[in-house]
Amino acid sequence: MEGKAKKNAKSALRYLVLIILALLWIVPIVTLFLTAIKAKSDFISGLGLFEMPERLAWENFTNAMTQGRLFLYMKNDLIICLLKVPLGIFISSMAAFALTRTKLKHATAWFVFLLLGMMLPMQIALVPISIIYNKLGLINTYFGLFYIYIGFGVSFMILIMHGFMKGIDFAIDEAAYIDGANKWQNFFHIILPICKPAIATLFITDFLSTWNEYLLASVIINDNKLKTVPVGLMTFVGEHGTDYGYLCAGVLISVIPVMAVYLIFQRYFVEGMAGAVK
Amino acid sequence: MKENKTAPYLFMLPALIIYLSVIIFPVFYSLWISFQSGTGIGSMEFVGMKNYTQLIHDEVFWMSFKHTIIWIVLTVFVTTTVSLMLAVLMNQKFRGRTFFRAFFYFPSVISAIAVAIIWRWIYNPQIGFINQFAQMLGLDFTQTWISTPNTALIALFIAALWQAIGQPMILFLAGLGGISPDVLEAASIDGANGVQTFFHITIPLMKDTFIMVISTLLIAAMKVYDIVKGLTDGGPNNATQVLASYMYNQVFQYNNVGYGTAIAIIMVLMMLIVIIPYMSFTAKKE
Repeated sequence: MEGKAKKNAKSALRYLVLIILALLWIVPIVTLFLTAIKAKSDFISGLGLFEMPERLAWENFTNAMTQGRLFLYMKNDLIICLLKVPLGIFISSMAAFALTRTKLKHATAWFVFLLLGMMLPMQIALVPISIIYNKLGLINTYFGLFYIYIGFGVSFMILIMHGFMKGIDFAIDEAAYIDGANKWQNFFHIILPICKPAIATLFITDFLSTWNEYLLASVIINDNKLKTVPVGLMTFVGEHGTDYGYLCAGVLISVIPVMAVYLIFQRYFVEGMAGAVK
Repeated sequence: MKENKTAPYLFMLPALIIYLSVIIFPVFYSLWISFQSGTGIGSMEFVGMKNYTQLIHDEVFWMSFKHTIIWIVLTVFVTTTVSLMLAVLMNQKFRGRTFFRAFFYFPSVISAIAVAIIWRWIYNPQIGFINQFAQMLGLDFTQTWISTPNTALIALFIAALWQAIGQPMILFLAGLGGISPDVLEAASIDGANGVQTFFHITIPLMKDTFIMVISTLLIAAMKVYDIVKGLTDGGPNNATQVLASYMYNQVFQYNNVGYGTAIAIIMVLMMLIVIIPYMSFTAKKE
């Protein structure tokens, strides 16, 4: 009996700790929401954060979408992601295939060399890229942005695809080659389809990190019509610095699609991260 | 037979072209630019080590350097500890475990820029959460958390922590899940208590996970930028200036292209402290 009481106490304590932590963790989002539903006049009249306004200012949200251009920024970001992510995965899978399933010489040295990009700070490329892009007229182009995104993304993608492909039974390749397939057929029709789980994980995680990238996008894109969400958000904040409710509505809107993607594909994050450890 | 020899290189080619042009070539180009002075294209002149000697005497550079080091130390100790504790908590079997795990991870999917802007509303002296909450409790004080040099860096770190614990937590959970229950049971039969088991069995068994977590956190801490840009932009009075933000400001605000690039080179040299061991670790594992 005593043991059971102890167990119950332990369980209660655990929930208490978790609930306190969870409440702390939700504070930023609640604050954002409580500010977003208030109109400019509410702030002028000194309404407190925890007080409800007489009328919820839903127009903050619709205005942020249209006048605040958030809808446009999301569309731009979506285009960049849909160009970058599949292309990046494809070329990284090809490289990982060469590294793990062909007789490439010095494969380990190549692999380690290709991982460097994961560690180098993007700052190292900022000046050279902006000089070259200015010369080539690639500033304010989607191609310019997603090309450099792919470059900075290949290291991590190769790491993940390399880890996954290493684990596929080599008897599968041998069977394919005996049946008369060449390397390309083996890659496209056999190995790539087996890699579906790794590809799915990479797709989701890379989609989000591309969607959220700020530094490179802020250097390469300065045309309001072409900006991605994080860069657009900074512009939005700069334009509406004192209109608190409107501003918070904009930030909240920028967060919602990401949250939706996360909730739908949650298990890929957990599995993908765990996969990276192996 | 011919196909067998060239095919591996053809598979490598697209990744290699992009990688060389986006990463490797700019590293050397940056090194070259860091020996020059001027405001941009066309007006650059070779000045040798002048940018570097100037950095040594630049007070703001040393402040940025110090803040980056503080940030790294805080990240390695605080972020690792908090995420490990959460992972241990989540690793137990209880109702709602999946929910809590997903819940503590969610800030990780938001962009750092959005996180920075969200936290402006926590720290805002008039309508921010902290000061309003204090008022609700009857405490009458207003503290300008991010515009006071003393509190700015730590306030910035707390905002970053909110977002940063999700990924290491998941990595630690994977590490904890990989430990066989038999080993832990054997330890408890031998009379070890929970704390002893944790420090003497669990932690040593998770060595690889620790290497992974600490190296990724270290790399991220060295290049921290977005949250700084969005929350304080290095201010007030450079109290939150880090190497990445100082580099950006020198290049894009003051047009000191060569000088800023020299800071980027310093950042890479710092990174080598992590890069070299990590590379040899990976090479050995292969």
